[in-house]
Amino acid sequence: MGSTTAVTVANGFFTDTTLCIGCKACEVACKQWNQLPADGYEFSGSSYDNTLELGGTTWRHVAFVEQAAPPDAPAADTKWLMMSDVCKHCTNAGCLEACPTGAIIRNEFEDVFIQPDICNGCGYCVPSCPFGVVDLIAPANYDASRGFVSDGRTNDDATQHHGGVAGKCTLCYDRQKLGLTPACAKACPTESIQFGNVDELHVRAKQRVETLQARGVQAYLYGVDDNSTVGDLNAFFLLTDAPAAYNLPERPVLPSTRQAAGYAAAAMTAAALALAGWAVFRSGD
Amino acid sequence: MSTAQLPPQPNDSDRGASRGDGLPAHASATYYEQPLLKKPHWEWAVITYLFLGGIMGGSGMLVMIADERPEREADLARSARYVAFVLASACPLVLISHLGRPERFLNMLRIVKFKSVMSMGVWGLIAYTGPASLAAAAQLSRDGVLPKWIDALEPRPVMKLLQGIIGAFMAGYTGVLISATAIPVWGKGKRYIPAISVCSGFAGACALNAAIVALSGSDRTRHKLERLELIASTAEFILLERFRRHAGPLGEPMYGGARGRKLRTFTEIGGIIAPALLGCLPFGGRAKTLLAGALTLAGGYVLRETFIESGKDSADDPRAASRQPE
Repeated sequence: MGSTTAVTVANGFFTDTTLCIGCKACEVACKQWNQLPADGYEFSGSSYDNTLELGGTTWRHVAFVEQAAPPDAPAADTKWLMMSDVCKHCTNAGCLEACPTGAIIRNEFEDVFIQPDICNGCGYCVPSCPFGVVDLIAPANYDASRGFVSDGRTNDDATQHHGGVAGKCTLCYDRQKLGLTPACAKACPTESIQFGNVDELHVRAKQRVETLQARGVQAYLYGVDDNSTVGDLNAFFLLTDAPAAYNLPERPVLPSTRQAAGYAAAAMTAAALALAGWAVFRSGD
Repeated sequence: MSTAQLPPQPNDSDRGASRGDGLPAHASATYYEQPLLKKPHWEWAVITYLFLGGIMGGSGMLVMIADERPEREADLARSARYVAFVLASACPLVLISHLGRPERFLNMLRIVKFKSVMSMGVWGLIAYTGPASLAAAAQLSRDGVLPKWIDALEPRPVMKLLQGIIGAFMAGYTGVLISATAIPVWGKGKRYIPAISVCSGFAGACALNAAIVALSGSDRTRHKLERLELIASTAEFILLERFRRHAGPLGEPMYGGARGRKLRTFTEIGGIIAPALLGCLPFGGRAKTLLAGALTLAGGYVLRETFIESGKDSADDPRAASRQPE
């Protein structure tokens, strides 16, 4: 770290929330490029956020953190934060580890990618994501007339049936292969979303944090050197409030770290019961 | 989806939630009470699989116990082998029905992945059908249905060990599978849920085999199975109560409200305490075994349903999901 020369081939996003103006161009650009169905026209009542969450067919989501100042505090304490959320493309990805078919892979850009023709819709990745990103694409969201499945990247047959397949941000794998910037970063008018080599983004992000802190802004990076079991996030964020304010976990845990304890507990219990069975059937004769 | 379904709790420790200014619970507490995690989509097929897989695995362990002394325990060996085989045939069908289309199951067979508990479970299930089928064929030949020479084909010492070990894995791995997720209540139970699953699967296997032996075998085997079931279900009861204490507020989706009452009624009282009391009655004979068996099995199903459904509610709690259990 600290050097400007890249030591990783990983490409990712640096989302600087202090630059986000909540225009949602990223959401729209993502929907358009990836031919994803709209989220409907429901009014949530939660600030300007009618998208509310990432989902199987919602791969960018702009959060609007709207906090009025307490009555006894100066009006300047009012917070009006916007943040474009996305799949974190974790170094240690819970969804990737959980996937039993090998549909979820790490591609040549070190990003986590779901191969839709291999996904069988088992749904195990969904509760295995510590950030609540990946979801099954419900058959109701599937609309053949929109061409959502016609580009060969989504399994047409599978999507039409019960359960669908899992969906999340591809980090515009197809655009990256063509040397293009992902659609959301391309559309962002303020460079709140920056795309590039993760090492280079880290350097830029740390400089930005220093600049902001010098101006008295409580800025920090989320997903860089956090000493978490999910590792560094290839899509990381610059935040100015607690992670929970943006609906990010304060302490994400890589789910597979619990396996050893679970297997050990099951094995010990089974051994004890087998011994008990052996003893019961031997006793008295 | 409505965001207004969870009103702010005045006793929440989070700042901003108790101002009473009529505004929604503030983003410094949570993000408009929006869930942080995604819910598992698993429905009855997965619940049924967890339930049947436990009994299947438990029956494999019983085959191993019975084959220690094959002549003395012929009744148990017969019923446990048939139960294990029938369930090993049924479980893949249940799994496939969950995936929607049969050929989607084949995608599971592309890779063997030690990191994925589900991949391990699929291969465990496939590995289990080997010894389970061989054992059932040998039993059929001993029962005069198939020709005699088939019985000699089964390498018994190896097969009984395989059926016992893979059976124990099948009974327990489903617990590891759910606790190795981001769902708070499941993660909190990383030791308890696998152990409870093994106990419940083994108790269910004892109950089902006792019922079959009650209809076709000796009283001695039936009583021994009932005693063994009492041991397993007592352990299950103790673990359930200890997990309740260990989980604290994270265990609320499992132990609280209507779902907690259902778990207590059907699993703890109906499925564990009632069969134990029935076993103490000096009368009742075989009918008593059948009734106790049915109660135990119903309790086992409700336990698995509670696991899955409580995971969905737990995913909806952004506070629990923010600081995830180690």
